[in-house]
Amino acid sequence: MAFQPLLMDWSGGGEVKTLVRAEWQGGQPLLGGRALLCGYYLNELLVRLAAREDPHPALFAAYGEAIAALGRNEALVVVLRRFELLLLQELGYGLDLGHEADSGEPVQERADYVFIIERGPVPLGEIDPASIDGLTIVSGRTLLDLAARDFSRAETLAQAKQLLRMLINHYLGGQPLQSRRVLKELQEL
Amino acid sequence: MQPSSLDELIEALRCLPGVGPKSAQRMAYHLLQRDQRGAARLAGALGHALDVLQHCERCNTFSETEVCQRCANPRRDPALLCIVEMPADLAMIEQTQSYNGLYYVLMGRLSPLDGIGPRELKLDKLIARAADGVVQEVILATNFTNEGEATAHTVASLLAPRGLRISRLSRGVPVGGELEHTDTGTIAQALVERRTV
Repeated sequence: MAFQPLLMDWSGGGEVKTLVRAEWQGGQPLLGGRALLCGYYLNELLVRLAAREDPHPALFAAYGEAIAALGRNEALVVVLRRFELLLLQELGYGLDLGHEADSGEPVQERADYVFIIERGPVPLGEIDPASIDGLTIVSGRTLLDLAARDFSRAETLAQAKQLLRMLINHYLGGQPLQSRRVLKELQEL
Repeated sequence: MQPSSLDELIEALRCLPGVGPKSAQRMAYHLLQRDQRGAARLAGALGHALDVLQHCERCNTFSETEVCQRCANPRRDPALLCIVEMPADLAMIEQTQSYNGLYYVLMGRLSPLDGIGPRELKLDKLIARAADGVVQEVILATNFTNEGEATAHTVASLLAPRGLRISRLSRGVPVGGELEHTDTGTIAQALVERRTV
């Protein structure tokens, strides 16, 4: 019953629980095609990044909405990016996208920034040009769009993909995601 | 210290699915104490199967010859290729006696979270088989589980650009089924996938 909302009761204090009740809540069409593969990606993110028995009502609701949106075949990349952002925020990684690191000044729409993990957006001018290789550069406009959850610009989507991938890879501790590998292999066949 | 042959046997039996240390021990004692002839037969059959069985070059199922009897049968329609997950699924479709084409057995399903992807399923072998120029329609008969659906979608997206007609087994209320006694998930999906008559 993956991707289906269930109302469950269980008992037991140890790791193995006893299922007392499970009721199918319905209303979620089965995922098919690419949306299904994206659903697996969301599941893997949750399994790998969220801690067991740590309730996150807002994350649960966002997951439900994301799966419903996949079921309606909405733009898949937007669904994924929206969920990734909320996931990182809910798990307490505190992404403050609208403010510059250190100074806390509002991000300038026309400036470019380097996003540094656990610090935030640093104005490109403050970075030593010799160490710029491999850093993730995003425009101020993208950061403001993301802070406002506005995915209507193509550049925002492209930069958000890079930024979120870098952050997620970091929090995964370098262990690659299986669902991402499968998608990549499919594109190579 | 070398493990005794008894320990070795118990450890070997644990490779069976769903067999933990306790059941493995029970099986080992049973084979050695109560059914030595059965044990010898099991050992012989296992060794023989490992020796002679191979994957059929064309349908990938187990076969004692390079091309299995079903694939070599000239009375079957080579323009139809039905893709199933396991040999048991193939046997089930054969039982219906309503399909006369050929098969391809994946020997598994795509399972992204378990790390089973296109490489593990050897989908390149399937692509080569389906694109032999004789096959015209591919029928996707993977299971109606999420993994089966993911497999069907993947195979479809790989084969469609190669000019093949792709179809999928339809699903819905079982034959002879009454709505009142059908599970809600099936009815919900049957509503989503309803067809015009």
